[in-house]
Amino acid sequence: MDQSRTLQVAAGLGAVLAWIVIWAWLTRPGGPVPTLYFPAPDDVWAKFVRMWQRPYIGSTLPNHILASLYIVLTGWGLAALVGIPLGIAMAWWKRLKWIVFPTFQLIRPVPPLAWIPLTILWLGIGDSARISVVFIAALVPWLMNSMLAVYSIDRLLLDAAKTLGANDRQILTRVVCRTALPTLVAAARMALGSAWSTLVAAEILAATAGLGYVAVNASQLLDTDVLLVAMFMIGILGIGMTGLIGLTQNWLAPWSVLGARRD
Amino acid sequence: MEQSAGKMASGTTDPAPEAPAKLELRNISKWFGPEGEGVHAVDDCSIEVKKGEFIVVVGPSGCGKSTLMTVGAGLEEPTHGEVLVDGKPAGPPGPTRSVVFQKFALFPSETVEQNIKFGLQMTGVSAAEQEARLAEQLKIMGLEQFRKSYPSELSGGMQQRVAIARALVMQPEILLMDEPFGALDAQTRTILQEEVQRLHREKHYTVLFITHSVEEAVYLGDRVVVMTRRPGRIKRVIELPRDVAWKTGDIELASEHPEFIEFRREIWGLVREEIVSI
Repeated sequence: MDQSRTLQVAAGLGAVLAWIVIWAWLTRPGGPVPTLYFPAPDDVWAKFVRMWQRPYIGSTLPNHILASLYIVLTGWGLAALVGIPLGIAMAWWKRLKWIVFPTFQLIRPVPPLAWIPLTILWLGIGDSARISVVFIAALVPWLMNSMLAVYSIDRLLLDAAKTLGANDRQILTRVVCRTALPTLVAAARMALGSAWSTLVAAEILAATAGLGYVAVNASQLLDTDVLLVAMFMIGILGIGMTGLIGLTQNWLAPWSVLGARRD
Repeated sequence: MEQSAGKMASGTTDPAPEAPAKLELRNISKWFGPEGEGVHAVDDCSIEVKKGEFIVVVGPSGCGKSTLMTVGAGLEEPTHGEVLVDGKPAGPPGPTRSVVFQKFALFPSETVEQNIKFGLQMTGVSAAEQEARLAEQLKIMGLEQFRKSYPSELSGGMQQRVAIARALVMQPEILLMDEPFGALDAQTRTILQEEVQRLHREKHYTVLFITHSVEEAVYLGDRVVVMTRRPGRIKRVIELPRDVAWKTGDIELASEHPEFIEFRREIWGLVREEIVSI
C-alpha cells in the first residue's frame, strides 16, 4: 500500500519533470518554438520572481492572487450559506421544492458567464459584480449536490431513527445533516471548481486586479511569460484549494475516509 | 387451500381471555399503490404476540413478511386492519417497539457507542443512565473494544451486534427483527442465533421475528407462523415445545434432535408448497 503510493507520487513527479524538460528543449535558443509565443521555463521562472517583488499592471503577484482569492472565496462562501440550507430544505420539505425548484431550473441553464453583462450594468466592474457572478456559478453545484446528498441517504436510516424515538427535527439535524457531510464535501469541491473557472473569466471581462486580469493584459501586451505565470498560478491555487477541501473531509467526516476492516 | 388455511390460523391465534396480547396485528392488509391495482403484499393477516413470547414468521421470499414487520413497527400504515399494543392502537413508531433490520441500518457517521446511545438521547434519558445502559449492552454483545469504531470498520456480524444492542438498550416492550441474520455468513449467523436464543430465555423479550430460514424458525420460535406466497396470508400456525433441552443448547445439537427434525420437515413442507405451486 505505502510502497505503491510512493511509486505513484514518483511517477507523477517524474511525468511533470519530463514535460518541463520537453518544454525546455522545444524553447531552447534556436529551437523549433519561438519564445515570443512560448517562453522558456527559466524565463517564466525569472518573471515569476520579478512579479512577486514588483508590481505588474498595478499590483504585485501576491496582491493579484489575494484579489482573486478574495473574490472566489467570498462568492463561494456566500453560495454555500444559501445553497446548503436551501438544498437540504428542498430535499426535506417537498412543498418548498415545488415552489423554488422550477425557478431554479429556469435560471440554471444560463451559463454563469452570461450573467456578466448584466452584473456589469448593475454593479459596474467592482468586486461586487465579480462576487455576484462567482456566487451564481457556485450556487448551482452547492444547491444541487446538497439536495442529492439528502436524497442519497438510505431511507432505512430514517426508519431506524423513527423507531428509536427521534422526531422529524432530530432526524433532520442528527441523521440527515451528519450523514450528508461527505457528499457536501464533494459539493464544496465542485462548487469551488465552478467558482474558480468563472472567476478567471469574470476577471478577463471586468476587473482592476486579479490573475485573470493579469492574463488578459499580458496577452494583449504580448507578455507571454507573464501570461504563463498567471496560468500556472491559477492552476496551482486550484490544486491547493481542492487539497484543503480534501483535508476538511478527514476532519469533518472521518468515517467516510476509512477503509473497511474485516475481522 | 389457502382460504381454509386462513381459518385454521385464526383458530390457533385466539387471545388468552385474561390479558390482551402485547402486540397484535389485527386483520392487516397492505397494498402498495392503489388498492385493487397496485401490489397486494399482505392480505388479512392476524398475529398475536403475547408477553414474553417469541413468534417467528416464515415464508417464501417476497411473501410480504417484511411488510408485516414494517406495519407492525408503525413505519407503514396498513391499508386495512390495525396494530395494537396492550390492546390499544399502537400509533407512530417509537422505542416501545424496537426494530432490528436485515441491513443493520446503523448511522454511518456515528461510532458504535454513539449508535447505541442514539435512542436514549432522542428520548431524553439522563446522561448517567445512558452511560450505564451503554456499558451493559457493550458487555452483553461483546462490543467493548469496538466502542469507538465506526460501522464501516466493522464486519457484518459486529454491525448487527451493534444494531441489536441499539434496539435492546431502549428496554423495548417489543422487539421486531426483520431477517436480522439474513445478510450474515453462516458461522456468524449460528453464533448470533444462539445469543438471541439465550437473551430471550434470560430476559423474556417479546419478539416478532421474520425469517425465510426454517431452521432458524424451529430453533428460535415459541410459535411459527407460516405465510403463503404473495399476497401473503397466514397459512398455518405451529406451536413448538418451549422449555425443552434442545432449544436451549447449541443450534448444532438441536438440529440433530428428532423433534427438531420433525418440525423442520413439517414447516419446510408448508413453505415448499408455496414456492413450488403455481
